[in-house]
Amino acid sequence: MNIQPPNSSSIKSRFAVKFVQAMKRLSKRRGMGDRYKRYRATRAAARVSLAAAVGPERAWSRAVLRRIKKRRGLIGRTTTNPRRNLRGLVPGGKGMDYCSLLSETAHYITCLQAQVQVMQDMLHLSSP
Amino acid sequence: MREPSREPESPGLNSINSVMNQHLFLHEMLQPFNFEPTSSHEDFLEQMLSSVPPTPSSFPWADDHPPPGNSEDHSAAMRMRHQQISGAAAKALMLQQQLLLSRGFSAPMHDHNDVVDSSSPNSANPANDASIKGLFNVFTGLPGQNSNQSQQFHHLQGGGLQQSQSLSGAAAATSGDGAAGRSKQKVRARRGQATDPHSIAERLRRERIAERMKSLQELVPNANKTDKASMLDEIIDYVKFLQLQVKVLSMSRLGGAAAVAPLAPDKSPEGRQPAASNNSNKEGMAATEQQVAKLLEEDMGSAMQYLQGKGLCLMPISLATAISTATSHSRNPPHNGEAGGGGPSSPSTSVMTVQSSATTIGRKMSLQEAIAAPKLE
Repeated sequence: MNIQPPNSSSIKSRFAVKFVQAMKRLSKRRGMGDRYKRYRATRAAARVSLAAAVGPERAWSRAVLRRIKKRRGLIGRTTTNPRRNLRGLVPGGKGMDYCSLLSETAHYITCLQAQVQVMQDMLHLSSP
Repeated sequence: MREPSREPESPGLNSINSVMNQHLFLHEMLQPFNFEPTSSHEDFLEQMLSSVPPTPSSFPWADDHPPPGNSEDHSAAMRMRHQQISGAAAKALMLQQQLLLSRGFSAPMHDHNDVVDSSSPNSANPANDASIKGLFNVFTGLPGQNSNQSQQFHHLQGGGLQQSQSLSGAAAATSGDGAAGRSKQKVRARRGQATDPHSIAERLRRERIAERMKSLQELVPNANKTDKASMLDEIIDYVKFLQLQVKVLSMSRLGGAAAVAPLAPDKSPEGRQPAASNNSNKEGMAATEQQVAKLLEEDMGSAMQYLQGKGLCLMPISLATAISTATSHSRNPPHNGEAGGGGPSSPSTSVMTVQSSATTIGRKMSLQEAIAAPKLE
């Protein structure tokens, strides 16, 4: 049941490309002068880009992509209820048995680490 | 939840056949054991069951032969029963009867018949009751497809075996931890019964969870696994931390968001907001240049911040010229190395010379360029 651990570098490159594209689209959008809105949109773009980079092979990325299709609040979950429960943190963790929840968490952590690294690098590159 | 899962009628007897064969084997095995009443009865049954070759949970109910070499009413009772009971319960009954037979009780069998026919109250003698209890306790741990069957077993035994029912009720409390949806009702997990598929499955599951936890523990920085709960807390904290980092990074990106896509400096020299337009025009540049010059005299840091807000950076002229000559789309500017183009695909840079200092203000390159820049060195 345990799929192989994610290839960090490939995820990083895929995420970087998608994220940059999303940010470009974001900067062209109107009504983004508001800082908070822009921050929310950036975070959403980051989340979506990561899920798109990972693809549909993991349950948590599927859950994130599903949320987009449903057009619900993309970030609403993690901001409004910072739960102590692991199920509330990992996307799609509600309807999962404990065993797969743990494996999804492991994969999710790896991808988050890759995402943070990429975003940090981009930040440092752009404004040293 | 009480719906009986019936096997089709014709296969019924074959299972009984196979089971009976096993019981005959058991019957011989039982002789050397000394029979002790009630207390060690359960252990004895465990021994007996552990010697039973594992049967598939779904019996091959395909055959029609009546079981060989048994007393008449026994087979009759079995035929009757198999119509009423599904697999595991039937096996339970059969084993029990074998046991009773070997113990030399013939009367309880009839009592048993009556009970199965759901006609009689508790007429079994205490030993029988204990044996039924013991047997029943064991068989609740059997893999009966669903423990609906054992529940059905309850039902058929009727009020005659109230004690066993209460026992099963108590057994629910002692079931192994985390029977995750495998059976609708709690099944009592007998410790130390290695051949019990339920406990095997439980153990497998626990092992899987343990290995997942171990891999998680390697990911999370603080890896002192004192116990599972604290490890979980660590994992949760780490996930929250990573998500928080993403939040912070996207927040800090607000000021430098323009840096991601190559944007021209803002038309208004005052504004620190990231520019939305993609055109680069000389007037904007000139105004920015003046603004920067003014700021440079006051405070270097604010000048840098201003530039960053506009998506520009300060670099030595030599580097700027090197970059601009290296990129393919750069045009030669009249007096300062200014190149046009605002699209993300064009690798052009525009540079501005600040007369007051020997540095130039270079427009932010697209990310591809930035990655390509070190190659120039």
